[in-house]
Amino acid sequence: MNNDRKPVVISYAASKVGKLDQTRFEHEILADVVIDAVGTAGLDKTDIGSAVFTAPTPATRQRAFATFMASRLGLHCQGQIAEVSNLGITGGLAFEQACADVAGGRARVALALGIEYSSAVDAATMMEQGIRAAGDVNFQTPFGLTPIAWYALDADRYLYETGTTRRDLAAIAVKNRQHAMLNPLAQFQTPLTVADVLEQPTIVEPLGRYDVPARSDGAICLVVTSEVVARGLGKPFLRVLGRGFSHDGRHQVGSSPHDITDFPAARQATATALEDAAVSLEQVDVAELYAPCTITEALVVEAIGLAEKGRGALAAGAGETAIGGRIPVCTSGGCLSRGHPPGLTALYGIAELFDQLLHRAGKRQVAGAGLGLHLCELGNYNAALAHVMDAGN
Amino acid sequence: MEIIKVPKRLSIVPEYSAFSDTFRQGLAAGKFMTTTCSSCGNMTFPPKQHCSDCWSAEMEWTELSGNGILYARTTIHAAATQFHGEVPFSVGIVDLEEGVRLVTGLLDDPVRINNDAAIRLVILSYEDGLLFAARPA
Repeated sequence: MNNDRKPVVISYAASKVGKLDQTRFEHEILADVVIDAVGTAGLDKTDIGSAVFTAPTPATRQRAFATFMASRLGLHCQGQIAEVSNLGITGGLAFEQACADVAGGRARVALALGIEYSSAVDAATMMEQGIRAAGDVNFQTPFGLTPIAWYALDADRYLYETGTTRRDLAAIAVKNRQHAMLNPLAQFQTPLTVADVLEQPTIVEPLGRYDVPARSDGAICLVVTSEVVARGLGKPFLRVLGRGFSHDGRHQVGSSPHDITDFPAARQATATALEDAAVSLEQVDVAELYAPCTITEALVVEAIGLAEKGRGALAAGAGETAIGGRIPVCTSGGCLSRGHPPGLTALYGIAELFDQLLHRAGKRQVAGAGLGLHLCELGNYNAALAHVMDAGN
Repeated sequence: MEIIKVPKRLSIVPEYSAFSDTFRQGLAAGKFMTTTCSSCGNMTFPPKQHCSDCWSAEMEWTELSGNGILYARTTIHAAATQFHGEVPFSVGIVDLEEGVRLVTGLLDDPVRINNDAAIRLVILSYEDGLLFAARPA
């Protein structure tokens, strides 16, 4: 790569995750966010060569949203206007595509952005689509597995094999709520106890309401430019040191027996990203993970080596993955408490690393955070996309 | 294999291609079929027109015993619209003795099926189509 074109994140703007203002249209809300993000960077709309959108959910009435939005913002791009999508990895792909346009010289500035405005549609209707994505539409979907039912199967086997309890898993939800209480962008900020988590109704056994993500709206725009432009603007920036991707060749579950609690794609993608960055896992100070359920965080921290096998949930209970602990995980509050607009979750995760690594995270700042790991996934962690990041100025 | 009549309609009716219809015809005849690659021997479920391991198109239909164990299970309390009449319902991952893994509904009758317990597959004959499920062996 031409060193002058190394892509960096110079700014972002985002709405608080939760329920967006129902009296406004999506393009109106996203326009505010884009103008805020570009203005914060000290850039102008004429600098923007590419805008890579996360594909809207079926709840969005305006189809061809990206080109519609380009017209609303008066963008005249020479790089690309696109919508990208692949389940939970969507935000990560939008980010990478924006970075690639800067690195390839196709755009001086590229936006990675999107809006999810799904609260207007009820959960059961949203799941009509979800059950067709999470599984083989003819050989698995007819059994009614919702996307989070697959994580429940992971949880069932994990509790059975390791002796971990629902109470142990609940510690992850409590830890992430404590983080979210310090994050102005977080959806859920009231105190939460282990007892609160255990008292909730079952959604997909053994997971209760607070073990699984709520429905969330969000809107976010990351501004990507080159390190050279960033230095010229005199602003600190977030840079990508390493990248890794891996797909385990399965869709939700394999055709022959395998350990569903193992998440090999998460392990491989992280190892590749660390090697690419020429750093070791021990050097990572903060990890922001795409982990929709308590069980998912337990399994990912084990898969990538942040906790020993069987200690993924116990690590949260012991404070090891809390801010101030050995390796803080999901300092934003994660999917469970920061909130989880699935297509945008990875963009919110990268934004959290921006705040942490530029030491702008306020009360949830991880002291001395120098190196961050971001991971997003699709399916039942069938694929993972990892980025190792740090700050520059 | 046992065929159980279910006096209602399916929440979602599976669709079959000209190729995979052999599986449906098997169910109708009380057989649980899948494909094995004649080139590399890989047996998988669902049945496949091409081997996902070696890409051979030389696939052979094989009848499975329907015997296996339950690997993991969940009971779904919050379902998609199509399944509202069914909640709560249970599904699981089943490993058949031939080394094939699949997902299916669970009939906890006469007892609840626990992980690593023996199961047998049964065929469910709904008013508008066929499906299968696991029962205690």
